[in-house]
Amino acid sequence: MKPNKTIIVMLLAVYIAVPLAFGRDNYVMSLVVASMVIGGIALSWALLGNLGGMVSFGHAAFFGVGAYASAILSMKFGVPVLVSILLGGVGAVVASLAMLPVLRLRGPYFALAILAYAHIFRILATQWTSVTGGSGGLSNIPRLPEIFGYDLSSKTGGYLVILTIVLVFAAIYQYIRCSNYGLALRAMHESEDATRVVGVNSTLLKGLMLLVSAFMCGVVGAFNAHYINFLEPDYAFSGLWVTIPIVAAIFGGYRTITGPIVGAVVVYLVDQLVFKSIIPSGHQLVLGVLLVAMIIFSPDGLLSLLRKLTRRAHVAA
Amino acid sequence: MTELVLQALYSGLLQGGSYALIALGLALVFGAMKVINLAHGELVLLSAYVAYSVESGLGWNPIFAIPIALVVVCLSSVMVYFVVGRIKKDREINSLILTYGIGVILTNLILLIWKADVRSTGSTWMQEAIVVGPFYSMRSEVLFFVVSLVMMGGLWWWLSRSWYGRAVRAVSSNRDAAKLMGIDPGYTELVSFVVAGILAAVAGVALFSYGVVSPAYGSVLTVKAFIITVLAGIGSIPGVLIGAVLLGVAEALTVTLASSALQELVGMGLFLLVLFVMPSGLFGAKGRRG
Repeated sequence: MKPNKTIIVMLLAVYIAVPLAFGRDNYVMSLVVASMVIGGIALSWALLGNLGGMVSFGHAAFFGVGAYASAILSMKFGVPVLVSILLGGVGAVVASLAMLPVLRLRGPYFALAILAYAHIFRILATQWTSVTGGSGGLSNIPRLPEIFGYDLSSKTGGYLVILTIVLVFAAIYQYIRCSNYGLALRAMHESEDATRVVGVNSTLLKGLMLLVSAFMCGVVGAFNAHYINFLEPDYAFSGLWVTIPIVAAIFGGYRTITGPIVGAVVVYLVDQLVFKSIIPSGHQLVLGVLLVAMIIFSPDGLLSLLRKLTRRAHVAA
Repeated sequence: MTELVLQALYSGLLQGGSYALIALGLALVFGAMKVINLAHGELVLLSAYVAYSVESGLGWNPIFAIPIALVVVCLSSVMVYFVVGRIKKDREINSLILTYGIGVILTNLILLIWKADVRSTGSTWMQEAIVVGPFYSMRSEVLFFVVSLVMMGGLWWWLSRSWYGRAVRAVSSNRDAAKLMGIDPGYTELVSFVVAGILAAVAGVALFSYGVVSPAYGSVLTVKAFIITVLAGIGSIPGVLIGAVLLGVAEALTVTLASSALQELVGMGLFLLVLFVMPSGLFGAKGRRG
């Protein structure tokens, strides 16, 4: 990827134009931040799905563990917030180590096992009251700090932080994809057995992808905890942290890097502004329908569907 | 203390019956189509809510809800089959995401129709105590344990003796060879979804008759069914029953000795233990390791 003009213009737009345009409106800004949080999870989910070939229904576990780890470190041990956010990612990695035995399982078994794991961590967070505050949750989690006289705990500040996190992750994703590991992982997607024969330790590589994905998701969860200053188990480990990112990643195309992020912004904003006002409770129904429709009609994302349609129109003309 | 433990063992045993029905449905579809139906727990839950509606709306005993639940759940199961059949590529990954999406749809439909409240039966006939020696249970628990044993017997007969059952087994062991023998795999897949729907419908009514249900319970049920198939190894009905009873007993013991909040953890503990110690399941299965 060359640092060409389009990318610079895009960066300027998201870093400067978005805060300038919406910075005054707290409601819009909080929606944008939330959609970027979803984008970060969607990116980490897509990394695992695209590079590792694994479908995860357990990313809520990483998100929640990252959030709790960072909140507890900063509250009880006085770790500076920006450091504890990174350590939250490390916490999610540690949690994902517990999932490594599941890598012995293939395809559908892996997906179910990781779904089960998400339940475990929610129960742990609820039961381990001395550390997590139980179902009452943790409040007064330290805010994002001031840096160079700029208050990051404002909506716009939060936006800049999560935007940076997501962009750095996208860069890491791109780096992995272009590296030799990425080559091996893509080969594994074609035929895992053949890749093993030529000497690639496929289980190790898949394990590494799980760790990277967990780290990313954990950092996003940690950011969110400090951004909203409150945590409770049902929120931190909510199934929403799985459903919306999956819909977003599939919608935008989970085999691309920008797809999940753009998908997250679109899906989340439409969900919040349109679906939620039509069906207040149970608006996830629409997300489910969207997911089913995408998988049937265009599993590679909306972009490829549009391309297909225009090509068809072209041929017809 | 001993009494409590014995009582927990007995309750766990009875609970194992419906767990086994749920797990068998999941395993049957997986065998025939190599698709894990992540919405399977939601199908069970749908049946439980049909039973609730029949009881609260018509005032009938939940057991009479079974025919209606059978129709509703089997139709839903068949719809899942047709939607999964529309997947064109990467079926393994896409079918997971697809059935997950169907699960989300069903959970939210249930939420919209029946609200988020926890529901349980109000039927006194179902809740009446039955005493067998030193053991207590509700009538519904014994009733549905017997029903599930009968259904498992029926399933065993169907799979080993009837033409369609044998066709389902043939397709799961070797699809191409089965085709050469004149079996239509698409049709057997459909049949397996219908049978899974029948099992889910009965299990759902059973769950409602002796327990509590809430809209979020569906994915928990899917996970339980999965844990049982890992314990048992796919492929044997008695194995699944033993795995289901094991899970039921472990859960009941946890509730008695520790706390009901830890109930789900113990299943996961068992699951991890089996994964580490006996990766091919307690009763052996192949093809699961990567």
